[in-house]
Order: sequence, then structure tokens, then C-alpha cells
Amino acid sequence: MAVAPKLSTPTATQRTRVSHRRGLLAGRSGNILESAMLPVAFVLLIIAFTIATPSFFTAANFSSVLGSQAVLFVLALALLIPLTNGDIDLSVGSLSGLVSMVVAVLNTKAGVNIWLCCLIGLGVGLVGGAINAFLIIRFNANSFILTLATGTVFVGLIEWISGEQTITGVSSDLVQIVFYNDLFGIPWEFYIGIIIMLIVWYVLTFTPFGQRALFVGQSRQVARLSGFPVARARAYGFIIAGFMAAISGLLFVGTQASASPGDGNILLLPAYAAAFLGLTTIQPGRFNAIGTGIAVYFLAFGVSGFQLLGAQIYIQQIFYGVILAIAILLSRVLSKRRYGGGTDESFIETE
Amino acid sequence: MDPVGGDAGTSVPALQARHLAKRFGGQLALAGVDLTIEQGEVLALLGENGSGKSTLVKILSGFHVPEPGGSLRVAGHEVPLPVPHDHYRDYGLSFVYQDLGLGIGLSVVENLFVGRRVGRARGILTPIGWSRERRAAQQVFDRYHVDLDPRATVGDLRPTAQALLAIVRAAEDLRMFRERTTAEAGAEAAHGVLVLDEPTVFLPEDEKVFLFDLVRQVASGGTAVLFVSHDLPAIRELADRAVILRDGAVIGDVTVAETSDERLVELISGHLASATIERAASRAVETVREAATEGVDAAARGPGAGPLLEATGVAGGQLRDAVFTVDAGEIVGIAGLLGSGAEDLPYALFGALAGATGTVRVAGAVHDLARFSPRAARRAGLALVPADRKQQGIAPALTVGENMLSLVLGQYVRWGFLDRRALRRTADERALAFGVRPPDGGALVSSLSGGNQQRVVLARWLEDPPQVLVLHEPTQGVDVGTRAELGGMLRQLAATGIAIIWVSTDFDELADVAQRVLICSDGVIADQITPPITRDRITSAVYAAGARTPGREG
Repeated sequence: MAVAPKLSTPTATQRTRVSHRRGLLAGRSGNILESAMLPVAFVLLIIAFTIATPSFFTAANFSSVLGSQAVLFVLALALLIPLTNGDIDLSVGSLSGLVSMVVAVLNTKAGVNIWLCCLIGLGVGLVGGAINAFLIIRFNANSFILTLATGTVFVGLIEWISGEQTITGVSSDLVQIVFYNDLFGIPWEFYIGIIIMLIVWYVLTFTPFGQRALFVGQSRQVARLSGFPVARARAYGFIIAGFMAAISGLLFVGTQASASPGDGNILLLPAYAAAFLGLTTIQPGRFNAIGTGIAVYFLAFGVSGFQLLGAQIYIQQIFYGVILAIAILLSRVLSKRRYGGGTDESFIETE
Repeated sequence: MDPVGGDAGTSVPALQARHLAKRFGGQLALAGVDLTIEQGEVLALLGENGSGKSTLVKILSGFHVPEPGGSLRVAGHEVPLPVPHDHYRDYGLSFVYQDLGLGIGLSVVENLFVGRRVGRARGILTPIGWSRERRAAQQVFDRYHVDLDPRATVGDLRPTAQALLAIVRAAEDLRMFRERTTAEAGAEAAHGVLVLDEPTVFLPEDEKVFLFDLVRQVASGGTAVLFVSHDLPAIRELADRAVILRDGAVIGDVTVAETSDERLVELISGHLASATIERAASRAVETVREAATEGVDAAARGPGAGPLLEATGVAGGQLRDAVFTVDAGEIVGIAGLLGSGAEDLPYALFGALAGATGTVRVAGAVHDLARFSPRAARRAGLALVPADRKQQGIAPALTVGENMLSLVLGQYVRWGFLDRRALRRTADERALAFGVRPPDGGALVSSLSGGNQQRVVLARWLEDPPQVLVLHEPTQGVDVGTRAELGGMLRQLAATGIAIIWVSTDFDELADVAQRVLICSDGVIADQITPPITRDRITSAVYAAGARTPGREG
């Protein structure tokens, strides 16, 4: 294996200087302060709303917030692998909506068995992701614009197959599993989200695939000159994103028992807000699943608190937008402090 | 040097620099240089890499702040030092660099008049009269006898046409400057200076004449031209006078027509060149090729064992037909001037240069470079340390450990999980072994100095030891201490049987580390230097090979 140790013999003094900071999260020189920002803000938010309204810190509210965010949660996780690869996928929201609609239409209009519908839905997600992957990799297209295009097509397909109607009456078998079954008073879909989060965390942190994705995203030329399969890694990113968008679409039908045009796309922005907010914690500077999970529920509790205080529905969009802006500015400032310059623009870089 | 203009009658010199000096740390890069260029004169500025040429040009452009005590006059007017950033045009200075600075996706006319509209359209919202701009562009091209279509997209033009456009644009800036100063002074004002920094490097030999014609045209109008180049034939073609820099000082100021190539090379390298030139001339490209393909050197080295790497007909970029071999355990230096093809060689060999052709045989297995990729190159036992460390060599936003071990992650998977603890431990050990400071596998690469970053790059490739290590400018941006250490490491590495190809424009370093230096010129391996290898011998051979410039053999 390594030729390295033969090359130079370190002196004893050098040896004692080795840092002993090791462990699971080692890899970044300690920026506990950065990592703590989002969790601290989260705790402050909970305290503030608990003081402001008595109905906030209740089992019912917690169960409802935790149980209602799985669609957004999985959608945000779907973004992480492309983002780590340095790609932006704007089509996941509408792809998720398309899958919901396919399931709803097949089940209610064609009477297809709900589980078969789910399988078909997952297939639609894979195909959608594969189309993105093919067009972007094969033609070296800008992922931002291309997924905007495919996402628009998906929206059109949703309107076409639904006849621009909300489709209701989806089999309750799915709803039973996803929404009615609960554990400790929280619907199963919450735990489905947690499991998927752990899987994404594992893939990005504990597999060579995830480690190489970091190179593909941060320094694509280095990855290429290292002989990493850059195109394949990016293609997998889009396909996995499509698959996970499909899962979030299934969770949506499972929660609502219906699907209406325009549902999926609404979640695209909060999903990005969560992914970028997650960038600031756990592994600061890196898109990571656990940080994204924390961010999703930070957003959810924020919105719920405002609504309990009597705010109108529009507060949700304002809150999401403001948080996304703060998350991006924050990650800019932090990375500037870390690298002394704009090295992390790579996530928008195409080429 | 002659202080005031001689022949130009009434005129003041276009450029008069006095005592320009620049110190980097303790190193004097430019030791108080005086330079005068007359109006209408083409002056060649010659010198090796590191002689101070580019430092001088960068002082003129305002990029470097010179040491106090110098002065600069352009067209008879005092220019403040440092030259105000981005305002050199206002003082009658204009630059064309090797990269030309054109907007590739824009049209010719857009590039020509960028930032300076024709006619009344001066406000940012006043409509631009495009047909009028195109007519004006046509007039400009007619004035310089240049045949360019104002509507064409710059990216579609041949490199030569692009260079012509860049020069016309710079010359126009100077003409505007002169019109302005003439109007202000109420009398005929003096001409400014056009600085051409290696503009011929990437142009095909037979098209350089167009560029020469244009430069002569510009100079005949009165503009002074400072022509920075390594290209002796081009200098002979264009320049009246040549100033040679060595170690930051002017060591020669000669009339080109009265000076032989040998004398110029001697001034540049500080070494008697005639013998080298003769030898280079007699040694035809063909003989080098024969020697290489027959593996003469290899035969002398090990009984029966052929060379470890055998490159044949390597082309792509500036390379036309490079042929050479490298033995196991050998460090081969490759030297060449900019544009000779030497800088393309590492990437062509590694499958990272689009459009490369030829074959490379590594340890008996033959690979077609047209279908080679970095991935295939790695499998074939090659490793590449590229010159552009930040973009291509290492991921600055990731940690030392992640970079070092990224090629061997598969070895660290336990029960389906990456053993991050073991990774970290190994990274710390390697950091220590390679003398990375701080020896901390968790440190971000961007926080390290250039020298330490290069240690990480090397450690990274050696974790999965290659058979052939290709290095491109490995000591660029690396401190002197680390340089010596890297040299030592690589020698030890070669001793273990790894073949090393070291492409560099730092001839001192090549002389120090290489057992054989191949001279790349005009896209081929034109010469070879065997011990005793000195910087001067390399320099002489490189310039001599360039001076011969054999007509291109298809």
C-alpha cells in the first residue's frame, strides 16, 4: 500500500503535535459555534411560542407538526445528493406532485390496486430522474435550467392527467399505513422520514460514493482528474432524487387521500430552505441529512407557532422565503470566514 | 541606454521608465530597471522565466506596486506610480496578453467597442446604433488592413483572427488616447505604448505573418510596441531593438539585426550557446524519434527490460508528434517554452486533454490516447499532479484527510460503513510522514500554504502508488524549503522504481532533479540533454530549438 511512511521520518517533537481530536464528526476543525446556531435558534423559537401561546407546547400540536411534514422532509432530503454533487434539481417538487397525481388518477379513475399504483408511482419518479440525468449529463446542460424545464413539463402532465381537477377518494389502505397508524402518538410517516434521513446520512457520510460526491461538487476537475466516475455519480444523484421525490409524492397521497394540481411545486422552496439551513449545522458547510431534518422541523414549528398566534396562511410563504434568504446569507458569511473567499459557489457552477 | 529619443526629431520617447524595482519578500525580482522606447519603435523584451519580464509588464499595467524611487513617463507625460488600477488606458498604455481578453461568445463589433460606444450613445440606456457600430468597426479594420467580419462571433474565429482583433482593439485605445491628448494640448501629442505579452505563442507558424503585418502597421503609425516574447524568429521579424533581462536587471540592449541568435541566447541564458545550437541543428527530430522508439536508453539501463513508459506520436493542443520513453526509476524532465507543447504533454498522457491522439505504452500495455480518460490512465498506473493546484489538484473546501485518502476509500469500508476513525488516523499519520504542517488530517486544505497543499497532493497519489508519476510545475507557488524537500521525496520515490515525468519551466529545478531532460519545441521532442545537466544548458537548448523552428512537416 502506502509508500508514504518511508519517505520522511518525523521528529519526536512533530509527533507530539498531532491533534487527537477524532471521532464521528471529525473532519472539520471545531466550529461548534456555527453548528449550534440552528439548534439554539430552534430552542429559542420553541420557548418564545410556548410563552406566546398556551396551545403551542402541547402533545396535540407536536403530534400534528411532526406528523404533517414528512412530504417536505423527504423532498428536502431528495435534494441533498444532487446538491452535494454540485447540481441543482428544481424538478423534484413537480415530480413529487406528478407521482401523487398518477397514483390518485390510476387508483380512483382506473381502479388500479393502490399498491400497484405506488409501484408505478415509484417508477414514474425513477424515469423522471433518469430523464434529467440523461439530458444533463449527455448534453452537458446546466442542471438549474434543465430541471426548470423538465419540472415545467411535469406540471403540464399533472394538469393533463388530472383534467385540472383535484382527485379525491384514494384508497384508504395507503392512508391507513402512512397517516392513521401511529407510534407514540405520531403518524408513521414521521418515522418513514427519519428512516430515509438516516439512509441519506449513511450514504453521504459513510460510503465512498458520498465522499466522492463531495469532490464532484466542490472541485469537479479534481474529481475528474482523480479518475472518479463524475458523470455516473451525477446521474445517480438525479435518479435518486427522482426516486425520493416519488416517495414524498406517495406520502402526500397517503396523508391527503387526494391529489390536486399545484401541490408539489409549493414545497420546492421550503425544501431548498431546509437544505440550505441544514448546511449550517451538524457538518457546517456541507449539505447533510440530519441538519436538513432539524431545519425542516424548525420551519414547521415556526409556521405552526405563527398560525396558532392567529397569523394568516400567507405567513407560511413569508417565513419560508425569509428563512431561505437567511440560510443562504449565513452560509455565505460562514464560508467566507472559513475559506477567505467564494470557493463554495461551486454548487451553482455548471460546466 | 540612450536617454532621449535619437532619430524621431521633434518627438519625446513614447515610454521612459527610470529605476523600476520590485521586491517580493526578500527577493529582488526587478532591480531598478531603466527602459526607453521611441515612438514607432518595436522593442523586444527578452529573458528567461523569472528574469523579471512579467514583473516589469505587471508594473506597467498597475498590477504590481513598484518600490518607491522609480518614475514612468508615457508619451511625455508623467504617470503616477503605482499605475492607477484599470486606468492605464488613460495614460497611453495598452496591453494584449496571451489570453487576449476577448468575450468569446460575443461578436467582433461588441468586443471591439466594449465600454466605448460609437457616436452619441453614451448613457447606459441610450439605444446603441448597431448598424452604425458595424460600419465604424469596418472602418477601423480597413484602417489597419485587417480582414475581419464585425458580425462574426469571436469564438468562431481562428486564433490568429482573435489575436488580430485584440491587437486592433488595443491599438484603437491608443489612437483614442492620442486624439484626446492632442485635443487637450492643442498640439500634436505623442504616441502611447502597446505592450504585447507573448501574443504569438499559440498561433500556427504560417499565420504569424498576419500578426507581424498588423504590428508593423501599428508601429508605422507612431505607436511604440513593447514585444515580450521567447520566440526568436518572431523577434527577428518584428523588433528593431532587444532588451534582455536576467535576474531582474538589464544585461543587454542590442540592435536585433546586428545580433546573432547565438549571441541572443547567450545573453538570455548567460551561457555560451553556439555549441548547443550546432548540436541541436544537427540532431534531427528523426534521430531522436529513432532513439526513443528503439529504446536505446532502456537497453543501456537494464538487461532485457524495456522502458516502463513509451509514448508515440502524441498530439493535441500544441503537441504535434511527441515521441519519448521513460524507464522505471528514472526522473525525466521536460522543458519547453510556452506554446512548445510541453504544457500539454501531462494532460495528453493522462487522457485529460480533449482531442489528444497517439499511443502510450505503460508496462507493456498499449493505450490509445484518443480513447484514454483519467479513469483509464489511473488504472494503467499513471498519476498526474497538475499545475493548477486549486482547480485541478486538490479540493480546497475539503479536509486534508478527505483529499489524501479519496483514491483508496474502498480499503476503509468495514461492514458497509466507511471507517472514519481509521481514515482519520491514517490521514494524521500521512500528514506527519509527508511533513504537512499542521500535521492534522482534519484541517481544511484551504487553510494550508501552497507547499503544504502540494505535499497533500503528492501524498494523495502515493497512497495508491502509480507506476508513472507525471508532474506539471510541481513547485509552482511552493516555498523554497518545501521545494528542496519535494525534490528529495521524489528522488526517493524514483528509487523505488516509479518513473517520473517532470514538466517544468523552472530549469534550475529540472537541472537539479532530472536524470535526463527532453526539450520540447514546436510540438515535438526536439532534443535531449544528458548529464551534466545545468540550467544554462537547458535554457540554451530550449531557445536553440525554438530558433531553428523547422518548417512544419504536415
